Amino acid sequence: MTTAVALSDPVLDELRAILGADHVLTDRPARFNRTRVPSPFPVHRWADYVPDVVVLPRTAEQVSAVVKLANRFGIPVVPRAGATGLADGAVPLKRGIIVDVKLMNQIHEIDLVDRTVTVGPGINMLKLNEELRKHGVIYPDDPASYPCSLVGGRIGTSGWSLIGGRYGHTRDLVISMQWVLPNGEIVRIGDGGGRKIRKSSTGFSLKHLFMGAQGSLGIVTEATLELVPRPEVEFAAFFAYPDFKTAYESTGALTKSGLATLGGVVLFDEWKLRYLRRDDEAYIPQPDDVKAVVATAMYGTRDEVTPAARRLMRIGRESGGNYLGDEISQGDWAARHDRYATPLHGRLRSGQVVPMSWHCEDAALNYSVLPQVSEEWHAIADRYITQYGIFDDWGMFFYTNAAHKPWGDYLVEIDIGIWEQKLNDENWAAWVQCKREITQVTLKYGGSITACHGSTREGDAEYVPAEMGGAFEVMKQIKRALDPNNIMNPGKNELDRAYDDGAPGEG
Amino acid sequence: MIGFRLSAQRPPEARRINNDVIMRFDHVYEVAPEKMQTFPQQDIPAWDTLRIVASRWDHLDWMHDHWADSVLGVDELEEEAEKGHGED
Repeated sequence: MTTAVALSDPVLDELRAILGADHVLTDRPARFNRTRVPSPFPVHRWADYVPDVVVLPRTAEQVSAVVKLANRFGIPVVPRAGATGLADGAVPLKRGIIVDVKLMNQIHEIDLVDRTVTVGPGINMLKLNEELRKHGVIYPDDPASYPCSLVGGRIGTSGWSLIGGRYGHTRDLVISMQWVLPNGEIVRIGDGGGRKIRKSSTGFSLKHLFMGAQGSLGIVTEATLELVPRPEVEFAAFFAYPDFKTAYESTGALTKSGLATLGGVVLFDEWKLRYLRRDDEAYIPQPDDVKAVVATAMYGTRDEVTPAARRLMRIGRESGGNYLGDEISQGDWAARHDRYATPLHGRLRSGQVVPMSWHCEDAALNYSVLPQVSEEWHAIADRYITQYGIFDDWGMFFYTNAAHKPWGDYLVEIDIGIWEQKLNDENWAAWVQCKREITQVTLKYGGSITACHGSTREGDAEYVPAEMGGAFEVMKQIKRALDPNNIMNPGKNELDRAYDDGAPGEG
Repeated sequence: MIGFRLSAQRPPEARRINNDVIMRFDHVYEVAPEKMQTFPQQDIPAWDTLRIVASRWDHLDWMHDHWADSVLGVDELEEEAEKGHGED
């Protein structure tokens, strides 16, 4: 069924000429299914965010032609890959054209000599690694959405990896990119100009500028990625603790061990343990005196991992941890690659189960402030749960955040369930205010609003200028210079201010 | 062809684990029915519960195999240590 959309017939005719009629979708299911992402969404205002049209390009030249057309007509363009991010990067806040890159899912080249693989943005890491396995290598970008997220979205959000402490995060694993700029020009973006060069001092280091731009600076159409040897061995160890303080100190000791095979260390607090006991699919049947759990994982050759695992076990036990056994450690670690399979339900204060969607606050904060932040975030969540009754505190975790050096700062996450069916303007406004209070705590303690999903939603996006300080003026100038018509994913990162505030630098 | 078997349809009686959790099959934890009054749990035949659980274990095994050639356990580590291979 095709329905009338806001775009005029000449625009749709041009899109069909560029892409072919089969790759221009105007039907309601195609558009409504590309409106939201898994994170909590104002479902009572769904219609406000439905894109006007969905296009499915297969080449960079087609993407370029679509972007040039959008400039001529002043139409917003929103790139969309897996749309698994738990923020609104892929949500068309101003409607317009969704550029869905899922058909750009080819492996263009596997280079086993210079250790790279070049792919389209629509490929999924799991499918890519199935192919790479035949060659004894992997692309080790490992989000909790590993089975369903795509390379293009990982670049769009500057994604965070579960095993980033060992192998780095998306920004460390992407060597260079082919990019369609907001004016439609196709360029190569990397560290210097070489497609397969990992370190250069030529020119500006543009890779980091475009990485995580949330579609506001154009669209990635190809990426050249890092290859590493497929691990011979995986080792996972989970430890239980009688109190948070002991677990926190043990986490510090484990992360500073200097063990190069250590992929990550994650500390689960008492609220998270309660959630694991009552509602998580990875139920951990631990006695009530277990108040915190620390999980660790290692990858590498057997000769590296075996002695490192012995040292890690010694550090974990000597710092107060009680090993939870191979079954829980290995089983729960395997489930960490695939958190989107978790059934999403939560509890009312009465204990009744209701369906809930998953909000993931994903700040980056230093080790020294984790206990204070934990206390203040839980207190904020508790007030809103008590007053509104449609939220649920699913607990917090603290996950090593630095690439290759798992110490110093952490992805700090509080997971909050929201009963979306009960949303109305009042409840949504309350939720946004709750997020604002959480964000204010992050900034008070010198943190960053988001370690992985992006600050693109009400409740945290408006704090981007506060976090960036004077650098936000630089962001606005770059945005306006590259995208003078503000067609690329408008409404994100507060970058509309680049146009609303007058000339760059005057705002 | 296997015909209808009541035992394949009807789950065993539940055992109470705590205020929130019951168990009908070993190591398969379920939300206590009295906590599912607002949204009642659907009836699931025993064979389907066991199929879902088995398929989850298959998935986790597959995920281990996907990421590395083998999984090292602490038991294996300690066995090797007893044979005289030290930490470093």
